[in-house]
Amino acid sequence: MSTATAPAPAPLNRKLKRWPGWVVLLGVVIVALLIGSTRSTGPLTDEDRLDGIAQHIACPECEGESVYESQSPAAQNIRIQIKSLISQGTFSDDQIIAYVETNFGTKTQLVPKATGFDAVVWALPVFAGVCAIAGLTVAFRRWRSAADTVPTEADRAIVDAALAEQDDEH
Amino acid sequence: MLGATVNGTLGHSVLLVGLICATFGALATVYGIRTGDSRLLRTTQRYAFGVALAGVAAFGVMERALVDRDFTLAYVQQVGSADTPFLFNITAIWSALEGSILLWLLILVGYTAVIARRFRKRLADPLVAWALVVMFVVCIFFFVLTLGPADAFRAGAIGVTKGTGPNPLLQNHILVLFHPPILYLGYVGMTVPFAFAIAALITGRVGERWLTETRRFALFAWGFLTIGILLGGWWSYEVLGWSGVWGWDPVENASLLPWLTGTAYIHSVLVQERRGMLRVWNLTLLVSTFALTILGTFLTRSGVIKSVHAFSNGTIGPYLLSFFGIVAVVSLGLIAWRGDRLRSPGAIDSPMSREGAFLANNVLFTVFAFVVLLGTVFPLIVEALQNRTIKVGSPYFESMVVPFGLVLLFLMAVAPVLPWRKASTELLRDRLFWPAWVGVIAMVVPLVFGATGFAALLAFGLGGFAAGAASRQLILATRRQGLRGLVGRANGGMVVHIGVIIVAVALVASTTYTHSSVIELTVGKQASYGGHTFELVAVEGFTTARSNGVRAKVRVDNAKDYSPAITTYTAFGSNVPTPSVRNGVLDDIYLTIEPGAAPGDKTATIKVFIKPLVVWLWIGGLLMVVGTGLSGFPGKRRRRPTDPTSAPIPIGPDPDPVSEEPVSV
Repeated sequence: MSTATAPAPAPLNRKLKRWPGWVVLLGVVIVALLIGSTRSTGPLTDEDRLDGIAQHIACPECEGESVYESQSPAAQNIRIQIKSLISQGTFSDDQIIAYVETNFGTKTQLVPKATGFDAVVWALPVFAGVCAIAGLTVAFRRWRSAADTVPTEADRAIVDAALAEQDDEH
Repeated sequence: MLGATVNGTLGHSVLLVGLICATFGALATVYGIRTGDSRLLRTTQRYAFGVALAGVAAFGVMERALVDRDFTLAYVQQVGSADTPFLFNITAIWSALEGSILLWLLILVGYTAVIARRFRKRLADPLVAWALVVMFVVCIFFFVLTLGPADAFRAGAIGVTKGTGPNPLLQNHILVLFHPPILYLGYVGMTVPFAFAIAALITGRVGERWLTETRRFALFAWGFLTIGILLGGWWSYEVLGWSGVWGWDPVENASLLPWLTGTAYIHSVLVQERRGMLRVWNLTLLVSTFALTILGTFLTRSGVIKSVHAFSNGTIGPYLLSFFGIVAVVSLGLIAWRGDRLRSPGAIDSPMSREGAFLANNVLFTVFAFVVLLGTVFPLIVEALQNRTIKVGSPYFESMVVPFGLVLLFLMAVAPVLPWRKASTELLRDRLFWPAWVGVIAMVVPLVFGATGFAALLAFGLGGFAAGAASRQLILATRRQGLRGLVGRANGGMVVHIGVIIVAVALVASTTYTHSSVIELTVGKQASYGGHTFELVAVEGFTTARSNGVRAKVRVDNAKDYSPAITTYTAFGSNVPTPSVRNGVLDDIYLTIEPGAAPGDKTATIKVFIKPLVVWLWIGGLLMVVGTGLSGFPGKRRRRPTDPTSAPIPIGPDPDPVSEEPVSV
């Protein structure tokens, strides 16, 4: 089995690439992610909030569009309703979506529920991912055990004969 | 079946001729193979050219009917109009089901003729002959569609002298001219590697030779599909007025599915060419890619799933579903039949190897394709099993795409530096160090400028990491070979990777950091939003032969005027918003006008979207196209196609530029 190995880099380059360099890198990444994920984005404007909610609601009169995407009168009407509820300042996003669902029909949500049969659409991707990882693990293990097989005397004899034949040709 | 009109009769006639040519072509080729009659096999080219001529003629006749406004045809009554401009009359042919199938047929017969021409000296070779049989059979299916459920030449109602023209969304942007044909060049192009895969299974020549025969076809089909998808996103951005490029609509998903499996294939095929492994996997991917083009067409053209892009419904569903079933059963049956020859002797020694990374990439793409398919068809499953309706929209897909995207970016960073067989930890530490720091910079710079969000920052970091790895390989290759170092599969592929990374980063930025506001503008008064100023210059009306509408002239940043509009197409009575966009390197300003404005008004309500980095989507896409072109040409150290690439790898220098001579950067 051939294993590619690293070349001998220049001294400074080599020093930088040792584990401390990687530890510093990891530290910077962790700090950056911590700052980025905890930093406040500032208050959402009503319009940003409206867009976020509208993306979760299907346009009742359109084909495959959300209320956010559609320019149909029905979608505009729902956007006006949502905007009105947002401006009152007392409703959460979920409450507004529930209001729209109650008033415009049960088909209006674009996000399947995580309960009942609808949960299948959430569970199956996870199941597929787990199967994929398990499959890869099993395959690599099998290949590794196959690769680790010790050649028999007969195998060695075949290789020796082939090498001898090659030497004769040269 | 025959229409009573000149164009109808002509159209049906050439389609019948095409059907006959394809049928005789398939039968003659099979007979020639069975009897070993090489003289007969050499005539295959004539049948292929006959099929091509018939397809081109049928398409030409329909175009002529549209341009001449031949309202005796039902299809022209449906999509033709005396008021539609010439350009959109031309593009009207693919604005509904029947014409789209004609376009599909045109491209399919074109590929068939190209294959017959390309392999004209090897028509007696059973591999080529069987591949042509498969192409002929697919042609037969599409000729049957054009004469049956998707008959574009059917006579229309008597006495009709005008039509509505194509859907309003399909007659207000020039991208309508390019997006569908280019997408179909990719979609239909997947038929070629599929045909050779089936031919390899039938002949039992399941080694690597057929892969090298079809490598460029697969690559260019993938390239066209990529361009087509990106142009579709651009069209959506410029036309639909919601400022997005991808809505996870069923039609969009139908084009994405074969792209995902096709992307997996063009990676895993390298493992087979190099190591002789993954034969069953590659065949399955090719079959899946082709089958998904048929399934996607069924889902979006049969009317089972509603979509803003569907533009048609018809009775074509059972035909497409049956064909999909036949393709799946026959292909899987052949793979099972040839199972003994498909076993590969090699082993992937380590997950920390080029082939290990390709396999992981493949599994990821396949699972992602499964998720997209599941989300697309889940409403159908619920309706069939529980007799109720639900919808699965973009929030579902967007929540799913994040983990896949992040892992793929990570693999794109690591895979290019991995050697074949096995990598040591020292080697990875050496080769990944500087690319990883590029990733850190790509994460920290946006953070300094105020970027937030764990997933977005991680995506920027991984994007930088992957770009660093790809650039590293290109730097090494160009140092050694000059500009020729950009050519060839490995290095052209790195150019594609950089394009993909740019697209990914632009998508993340434009979806995460888009802000919008509705602004009441008054003539002569400035308003500010998102660091820009907006001033209403005037609200104007406009009238054309087919539409009228209102547009607001808005001056942005005291410079150029932009004119978002609402157009009412008189034949349809529907309002179509037309956004106006100021493109910029850092952000786009996307303007739409809210309903209610009238010509002469002194005020107008404008919706403003500030969308970062959108223009980089198109730049990244262009780079992907360039990279695909570079990948299609052989590098300096080209293997001869006849070399047994599955043979044990010889001891000596690795021809891969990175593996061959690792240089510390």
